[in-house]
Formats: sequence, C-alpha cells, structure tokens
Amino acid sequence: MQQQEIHNFLLQYFKANDCPIIENKPGYLTVQLTIALDKELMNRPFYWHYLEKTGGTPNPMKLTLITNQKEAPDNLKGEIIHFGSPRLHQIFASSKNLAKYIRLYENHQHGHQQTPLLPWLCLNVKISYQCDRKRDEFKSIGLQLINGAMVEDFHDRLLNIPLTPKIPDYSFTLSPLVRPRSGIARIENYVKSEIMKEDHTWAEEAKQRWQKDLQLLDHFYEDIEEENESYETEKKALQDQYEPKINISFINGGLFYLTDRAI
Amino acid sequence: MSAEIEFDSSWQDDFLERIDDDGPWGDWQLFKLAIEVEKHLVIPEFEGLQAPKHLPNLTPLPHQLETAKQVIENMNGKAILADEVGLGKTIEAGLILKEYMIRGLVKKVLILVPASLVTQWGQELNSKFFIPAITQKKSYVWEQCDVVVSSIDTAKRNPHRDIIYQQDYDLIIIDEAHKLKNNKTKNYEFVQNLKKKFCLLLTATPIQNRVEEIFNLVSLLKPGHLGSETAFYEKYKRDSRSLNDNEHLKELVNKVMIRNRRADTGIEWTKRQVETIPIEFSPSERELYEDICGLKNEGDWLETSAFSVMTLQREACSSREAVFYTLKNMLQRKENPSQAFQQQIEYLIKKVEAVQQNSKAEKALELIKNINDKVIIFTEYRATQLYLQWYLKQNGISSVPFRGGFKRGKKDWMRELFQKHAQVLIATEAGGEGINLQFCHHIINFDLPWNPMRLEQRIGRIHRLGQEHDVIIYNFAIKNTVEEHILKLLYEKIDLFERVIGELDDILTKLEFGNIEDHLIDIFGASSSEGEMRIKMENLSSMIEFAESMQKGDSHAAAGNS
Repeated sequence: MQQQEIHNFLLQYFKANDCPIIENKPGYLTVQLTIALDKELMNRPFYWHYLEKTGGTPNPMKLTLITNQKEAPDNLKGEIIHFGSPRLHQIFASSKNLAKYIRLYENHQHGHQQTPLLPWLCLNVKISYQCDRKRDEFKSIGLQLINGAMVEDFHDRLLNIPLTPKIPDYSFTLSPLVRPRSGIARIENYVKSEIMKEDHTWAEEAKQRWQKDLQLLDHFYEDIEEENESYETEKKALQDQYEPKINISFINGGLFYLTDRAI
Repeated sequence: MSAEIEFDSSWQDDFLERIDDDGPWGDWQLFKLAIEVEKHLVIPEFEGLQAPKHLPNLTPLPHQLETAKQVIENMNGKAILADEVGLGKTIEAGLILKEYMIRGLVKKVLILVPASLVTQWGQELNSKFFIPAITQKKSYVWEQCDVVVSSIDTAKRNPHRDIIYQQDYDLIIIDEAHKLKNNKTKNYEFVQNLKKKFCLLLTATPIQNRVEEIFNLVSLLKPGHLGSETAFYEKYKRDSRSLNDNEHLKELVNKVMIRNRRADTGIEWTKRQVETIPIEFSPSERELYEDICGLKNEGDWLETSAFSVMTLQREACSSREAVFYTLKNMLQRKENPSQAFQQQIEYLIKKVEAVQQNSKAEKALELIKNINDKVIIFTEYRATQLYLQWYLKQNGISSVPFRGGFKRGKKDWMRELFQKHAQVLIATEAGGEGINLQFCHHIINFDLPWNPMRLEQRIGRIHRLGQEHDVIIYNFAIKNTVEEHILKLLYEKIDLFERVIGELDDILTKLEFGNIEDHLIDIFGASSSEGEMRIKMENLSSMIEFAESMQKGDSHAAAGNS
C-alpha cells in the first residue's frame, strides 16, 4: 500500500464512520472522533466508564495522522502512519469488524415500473494454505438464491452497481428458493471442490519435511527406553510446524437484492 | 487430498440471526474498505519476505535479509544464527519474527536473553519492528502477553517455569545460546523441555568448538539432526575438534546454522585504531612491583597458596588497591600462617601503603580530559574500579560503574546514565558482555584480561553496526613489567587488536591447530614465568604465520597457478 493509498483509506474510513474531518492536507489528516470511534480506537475504557458513571460531558479525542512526513509541517504533532504501523493495523481490523454483515438493494432507475429484485448471497473469504510456510488467496463468491447460479469475483462486480440500504420505490424482492443456510453450505462445497482441483505439491513437500524430521527425532530418542516427555513435546511441535492445513476464513458477506440483468 | 480443509463457520449463526431479526446491517463503504484492506493483506506467495515493506524505518543489510529468507525458506524456521559479533543478529531475528507474525504463522513468542539485554530487546522489537514485546516483570505476563522477553534465569525458576510449560509457544528465540553448550545444566534442561515449533538460537562465538558442544546445541534445536548421542560419539570423539576435518559433519551443521562474517558482508566498517600508551611507574610503585617479583625466588610459601606471583604482578600494574585486596585475602585464607609468611605479607602491605599515587590513573585522567568525549575504561579488578571512580570524582569527572553482577534494571540505568549524563563508564570484565554502547568510540584498556579473547568482546561492545566513528583503543602498559611484555606479544605477534578474532580462528581451525581462545588461556593463564609465556607465544605466532602461508598457497593452487 502506498502512502497516498493509506491516506485515502484513512479518509474513507473516518468519513464512513461519520467523523468530522478537521483538516485534510497533503501528508496529514486531522479528524474529530465520534464517541463510538473513540471507544473503538483510543483504548481508554476507564475514561468512558468514569464518564458514564458521573454523567459528564463526553469529550472524544481528535486524532492527527501523518501519512507523509516530508509533506506535513515540521512541527506538527501526530502519529506517523505507514503500512507497518500498529495504528493502521488497528484501523484495518476495525474496518473489518464494523461491517461484517450487510444487506443492500440495487438502486435501479426503472422509474415507475414494478421491478423484481433477485436475492444473492455473497461470501468474501480468505483461503490460507499453511504448513511451516503460508500463503493466502482472496475469493468472493456470489450465489443466486433462486436458480443457484454461482459467480466468482462477485465483489468486483458489485462495485459497478449502485446500491442502497433501503429498498427503492416500485421494487419488490423475490423470496429465495435456496435458504441462506443451505446457500452457505453450497458455497462451502464449491470452494472446497475448487481447492481440491489445485496442485498441492506444497502439502506433499511439507509432509516429506515432517517425516524426515520425525525420523531424526525417533532416532535421537531410540536409546532412551522409558517414556520421555520431551519426545512427546517435540513430536507435537513437529506436527504444529509442518502439518499442512487449509483454512477458509470469513471476511464479510451478506444479502444483495439485484435486478435480473445486474450480474 | 493431502491437507485438511477447515471451514470457519462461526460467523454463520450470527449471519442467520441477523436475517431473522432484519439487521443490524453494516455500512457499504466500510464493507468495501474491509475488502480493500484484505486484498492488501493477502500474501499470495509462500516465498519472499513481507516484513521489509512493513518496516519503513529499518533498512536491513543484504546479509540480514538473505539470512531471514534462508531461515524461513530453507531451514523451516529452525536455525542457529552465528554471525560474528556486531553484524546484527538481533535484526535478523527480528526480521524472521516479524515475517512469521505478518503471515500469521506465529503469535505466541518467548524470547530468552541475558538479563542485561532484556530491556534492549524489548525496546528494539517495539521501536524498530513494531512488535508489542513485553519485558517480563510479573508472572501473569506469560499468559496474557503474546511476545515476552525474559532472562533465562528468571524463566527457569518456579512459579514461572510451570506457567511457561503450559503455554503453547510458536517461536522461541534464545540469545547468547552458546551458554547452553553443556547438556547437564538446568538451563539446558529447561530449554530442552520447551516446545519449539520454530526456534532461533543466537550465538556470537564460532561453533568451531568441541564437537560435544555442537552436538548439544544442535540437538536442542533439532534433536536427531546429528543422530542419537551414542551413535554420534561412536563416530566422533567427545573432545575432538574434528568438525572441520569432517566434511560430512560440517555439512550437517551448516544445514541448521548461518554464519556471516564481516569480511563477506561487503560493509565498510569503521576502523580500529590501536594506541599503546607506555607509562612509567613512580619510584614507590616500582619498588612494590620489584618486591613482588622478588617473591619468586624466596622459598615455597607461594606454592601452597592459590595465588600466583603473576597475579600479584599484574595487579601491581593496575592499582595498589588491587594488590592490597589480594594480600589481605591471602592472609585470611591461609590456615595457621607461618611467621615468615605473615611477615612477608605485612612487608608487602607496608609497601602498598607507601605508594601514594597511581601513574596509570593520572594518565587516564589526562587522556579523558583530552578526549573530551565518552570513554569506557575496562579493568579486571573490582578494587581498581572503585579506586578509579573515586579518583575521577576527585578530579571533577563523572563516571558510572558497570559490573556483570548488576541486576537488569541497574544495568539499564547505568547505561542510560552513561549515555545521558556521565563521561566515563568503568566496567569490570563481567560487564563486557551483553551491553551495546555504540554511542561511544573510545576504550581504555586499563589493564589486560587473563583471557585475551575478552579483548574482542570489550571492543565488540562499541565496534559494531551503528558505530559511526573509528574506534580508538588505548592500551595502557607499564614499562618494563609483565604487562608490557604481554601486550607486545599480543600486539606484535598476532595483531590481536586490529584483527577480528574470528579471522584468527578460521586460520587456525583450517589446520587443526585448535582454537585461539584455548591457546591464549593456556599461554596467559597457565604459564608460570614470563619466559614460558614468551616461548609459547612465539610458537603460537609461528603457527599462525604458517597457517596463513598455507592458506595463500591454497588460494594459489585453486587459481591454477601451481
């Protein structure tokens, strides 16, 4: 992520959370936190606890974030933000946390014509391939809950569609034939079957490394006759280190009601 | 299919509940941001390092990046990092740790380091690597914090020990791991029983030591890598130094060990300037020294005592206080001292009392005033340390003492005081290890250590990465004493101060001459006379010369010139 991207990201994050932007200049950003965001980010539970008990006037903090030290004024006080800074990662985590589930409708321009909206279930997931190394893959899957059509890169397609949280006038939603619970199961099965088709040399190799180290370990302890605790510990450690696993974790998802030509 | 697939279904119930309750639903902007974030955080390749782009304030050197990559990609996260002193092993360990944390392979980390380095490790991980490492102070820290830095001596004791064994650590880092070379110690046992999924052992001393020590260290990291104990010792003699003649063993060790050398890094190091400062005794000091030398010929009274004349001679070259302290000890420890013995000691004590000045201290004072910058003085003797502190204070120079025995907090405090307030740090030998003082570039060796290897450690405290100036080393030597002779031998015969010990070691081990440390300990610790010392030293220096000429011959041969 470039510094400019980080700057834009922060700006969008605070705007989306209704924080007044006090200053937005090249290289830095000052925002007035809302009460909710102060609680989310500033880690001062005692202050808020105290305030709630005494009924004082809440005074959420202002936050200055410097995204480019060269452009920001020299004497500016604020937190320097870069791709590795803990504050940015806190905000990353927060943005994921604040919008896990969603429901939106296509804001179509069909005028007074009655328009049916089709239900889509969208799941955005991260697939992690893990042994003693790790790599990830992002997948966005959409499932139409009437005809069961499955679409990849669903999120990117949504970006081109105007969406609104309120159902537009003269629109009605069609009831899903596939219930959301089984929709999730279908997507799960689909993702798994796609994974199965891939090349898994990495897992074979990890298992070979594991076997090799396990043999060494057995050889090391073969002289020692009694039950040995450290042998068991080491054995467990090797499993943790090498055992190939694939984790599918959920980022966010939701229901989208779209016109029939949208996707 | 060779891998389990886990599908995280914990969110499913929550989601279905929201459908039933018709909300609450998230914000579309935030939803999109979350995806954008995730796309940036996804790491699509097994290979390569992510850590550097998270660390804009740190510019790792090429050899450090290469090491981190090697450890993760080819050594499966278990390695001995054995770079020469000052090449930044901490940075390498930090890079590896950061990489694993970014990739989500490591969460719970235990870092065991010498007590004097606990705070420094904590600070560096936090400030350079943005890793929220906590230095262990309370016993609940083990459970509640993910990254803990502690001294091994604290960790191995209960209640900590039991709590630590219950934790599920992903990565264990041990600094100064050469201290774990003996598998009979409590520390060894403690580390052996830790669960080590990933593990880094950091050590500065070259692993060209005894085969036994290598076996123990490697077995800690990767049991069985060198075979079982019995099988191993059938093959290699326990105390042999055959690591280098055995290509197979060497190859095995190199699979789990990385050793970068200064010469290979291609970094421009600041220079070492060595200056020997000859000093004249004052008449009363000379008299004391001569009287001590005279002891040698007078009967057998010394043979039964644990102190050698050489000890006293060297002490006389440091301070009268050091001599006095030893004499007092001799008198106290001896059961039923003979009258002659008592008289002899008392006579010497009188001589000590007759000494009114310390020529070295005067010289040191003059030098410190001239330098007008931070100076570290190293001495072997506590008594000298105390005296110097008093003496400098009398002359308006602020100094702080430093000893190995100081508790962690005190060491940090002294380092801080030295950096911010005092001009001089006076350290005894034990203080030489495990403290980084790059902000200073003047060292005075007030006297010489028994084991000259320690000179390298002394210099290594300040001549390391991060040192911006040439390092100036002043060696004090009293003219016409054993000290001057020792210094001459070290300096002229083997260039000890300007070379890095590693080089000398490499030269010697290639020809199976053993390692330099043992030679030096033997020469300076076990010789009973100066004559013996000189002869042994000449042997050593000709060995080195021979080895060097062989090496040159080798490279010629390799180049096809023969």
